Amino acid sequence: MPACLQGKLMTLDPEVDLRKTYDAVIVGSGAAGGMAAHVLTSKGMKVLLLEAGKKLDIEQELRSMEWPYDNANRGFLPPDSHSLNFNEYTIRRPPYGPGFEKSKHLHSYIGSSDYTKNIVVDERENPFTGTNYAWVRARCLGGKTNIWGRLALRLSDYDFKAKDRDGFGENWPISYGDIAPYYDKVDLYLGITGVKENLDYLPDSIFQRPTKLNCAELTLRQGIQKMGRVLTQYRAGVTSDGLKHNKYRSRCYGRGACSRKGGCDIHAAFDSPTGLIYPAMDTGNLTLRPNSTVREVTVDPATGKANGVRFIDSQTMKDYHVKARVVIVAASTLESARLLLLSKSRQHPNGLANSSGHVGHNFCEHVMGPGITGRAKDLVGKPPTLDDGRPGGFYLTRFRNLKEKHPKFIRGYGFEGGSGSTMFPRGTDTHGFGAVFKDEVRKNHGAYVEMGGFGEVLARYENHVDLDPMVKDKWGIPALRFHYRFGDNERKMCEDMKETAKEMFEAAGFEILHVSDRMLTEGWSIHELGTARMGNDPKTSVLNQFEQSHDVKNLFVVDGSAFVNASCQNPTWTIMALCWRSCDYLADEMKKGNL
Amino acid sequence: MSQRNPSDFRKEIDLRQDRRQWLKTSATLLGASVLPLVAETTEAAPQTQSTPKAPPRHAHETRPTSRFFTPEQHALVDELTETIIPADSHSGGAKDARVTDFIDKTLRETQDEDQKRTWREGLPLIDSMSRHHNGKSYVDASPEERIAVLTVLSDNDRMTDLPEVKFFKDLKHLTVIGYYTSKVGIHDDLQYKGNRVLQEYVGCDDQGAAKT
Repeated sequence: MPACLQGKLMTLDPEVDLRKTYDAVIVGSGAAGGMAAHVLTSKGMKVLLLEAGKKLDIEQELRSMEWPYDNANRGFLPPDSHSLNFNEYTIRRPPYGPGFEKSKHLHSYIGSSDYTKNIVVDERENPFTGTNYAWVRARCLGGKTNIWGRLALRLSDYDFKAKDRDGFGENWPISYGDIAPYYDKVDLYLGITGVKENLDYLPDSIFQRPTKLNCAELTLRQGIQKMGRVLTQYRAGVTSDGLKHNKYRSRCYGRGACSRKGGCDIHAAFDSPTGLIYPAMDTGNLTLRPNSTVREVTVDPATGKANGVRFIDSQTMKDYHVKARVVIVAASTLESARLLLLSKSRQHPNGLANSSGHVGHNFCEHVMGPGITGRAKDLVGKPPTLDDGRPGGFYLTRFRNLKEKHPKFIRGYGFEGGSGSTMFPRGTDTHGFGAVFKDEVRKNHGAYVEMGGFGEVLARYENHVDLDPMVKDKWGIPALRFHYRFGDNERKMCEDMKETAKEMFEAAGFEILHVSDRMLTEGWSIHELGTARMGNDPKTSVLNQFEQSHDVKNLFVVDGSAFVNASCQNPTWTIMALCWRSCDYLADEMKKGNL
Repeated sequence: MSQRNPSDFRKEIDLRQDRRQWLKTSATLLGASVLPLVAETTEAAPQTQSTPKAPPRHAHETRPTSRFFTPEQHALVDELTETIIPADSHSGGAKDARVTDFIDKTLRETQDEDQKRTWREGLPLIDSMSRHHNGKSYVDASPEERIAVLTVLSDNDRMTDLPEVKFFKDLKHLTVIGYYTSKVGIHDDLQYKGNRVLQEYVGCDDQGAAKT
């Protein structure tokens, strides 16, 4: 553990004074909750941050430099645990649990390694019902930012004003100009690596030192250039030059364990604790309480305004209430919707902030699955190279429905991919065995190129979550029930992903080994969005452009639930930029006495 | 028979037909084998737990109680994994990487009874195949003879209803995982360059494997 973190971990569990009224209480410590804590404490507000999960000794969990042969289970799950796979997500129905009695712990698919198993929740303690969903939840300080994929992209007016282009859904109540300064702030405060491309549909960030493309990736970039398509270095939320203002994070040393579905033990990759929460604690204005499962936002019976939250100590099961002038919900898109729906009162009989009836609705995300595997023949048999000493490979940017309309679907998709050698080699599914098999793996493993699509799932009202009337979680809190399916637009988009992946690999001259348009289970992208969308009309939206409830002025919902559509870009950077903007507004309004 | 070219061998074998023959053979060899054969029960209901084992002589002297494999099984798995990933002039094979120990630990600790059964049934079946085709146990067979046996299974690897095919697939799966997560696999065979501190990112221009 870095020396600078040791004192920090000791102070994580202070005696929280629940008699006093905090300026703000924040529910959730991921990207959004961390950002809210950073912005509000920097303005001198006294903030209480509640996290449902435990405080983990995160460096002990991540062990980024550990070799598989030094790990008791070679880096895989211990034998008493199981993580759900695609087949199980497909043939079973939630709640996932029955049928896995032999396993002491049951995790979502991402909990399939020894480095992620304690970060994601146990499915049995956290059941949900309804349609199939690969719901990945991380209840611990920092949430999913501890293990996120790090692809940090901006949205543009192609996304914010998408309705103007194709008539579907709603426009966002902001445009790119409103959020651009906040993207800049996030870039500078947290660090991002990438290369400027000057694309109007994928604006550049303020990049630190970029990673480099390897040979096959460069071949693909050049091969698709003549098609007018762009492949760029993975834009990673990773500080490659270091951050002078943050003593908890090191710069990236390209060590190469980034692909093991784990986090970064030197915190070069952004995570909420070291990037946002520890610096916020250093202001003296932040109090943090882990093991605090919030089950209700409470309201003043006289005014109908939020006055605090009720939470259960996740370990002792004791019930508490804490008062605050402002309540900030940042529990993740689906948990935030759940909390609003749970917060029923005389003034808010449909749940808090839900006079529109849109809480839990317009649920959207990214569809994943279609992809391609190929081989760069000129790399076969070449000496081994270092290809995974960087936070990511490449991002192939959106090209559909920008200039020309696609006849079969609206919106777009991009591809994430990479090439080259990895610690565990690609190509071990090669047929056969023996000397030939061994030689094939050795000769070919550095020559593989892979990429997979991430497509916009349309925000449709009927795709929604509500509360299950029967099933409750370990803490007695009603479980979420899913009514969510991919639609026709997603299916047609996925068919197109397969075709374009193929034509681009052909253009690059790769040998194509496998190409698929199979969609993975709903939820697989871990990009769930939209369940409390922003808008100018209180009848059709939950929040205004500052993520402030139309109904309850001192309630803000600052995570992915505020999104109006999913775009096809990964959401974390936008969540944080929006949150920063909203918290600036919140602090101003508070000063003016408007909350 | 030992001079047979594995590729000739492969063309002649239809596993579903062939196994009738060697299952019969195995029945006559039962008494001679040191392995706990369960082949005679494979087409009936699985009786893994209750199948009486032919205990190896002096087993208690050499075998830790926590082991999944008997010493004889361990020797057989050593040869099987080495056939899957053999030592060559470039690097060590599965035996050097102690893949059998990895598989033993995996099977000892797994809660997947199906997988344990696959191995308990698979080992004697492979041995029966070798006795039928090669006239000797798998361990006593030459590398070519061993390859011939596994080639039958590899070429028929879609017949996953057959216990010996199911076994072969798991054998290959665990051998691959055990080998490529070992020091021998990562450092000697693949000569993996990552997992160390770098000052600068490496790109196409910096790599030895420059484009032609």
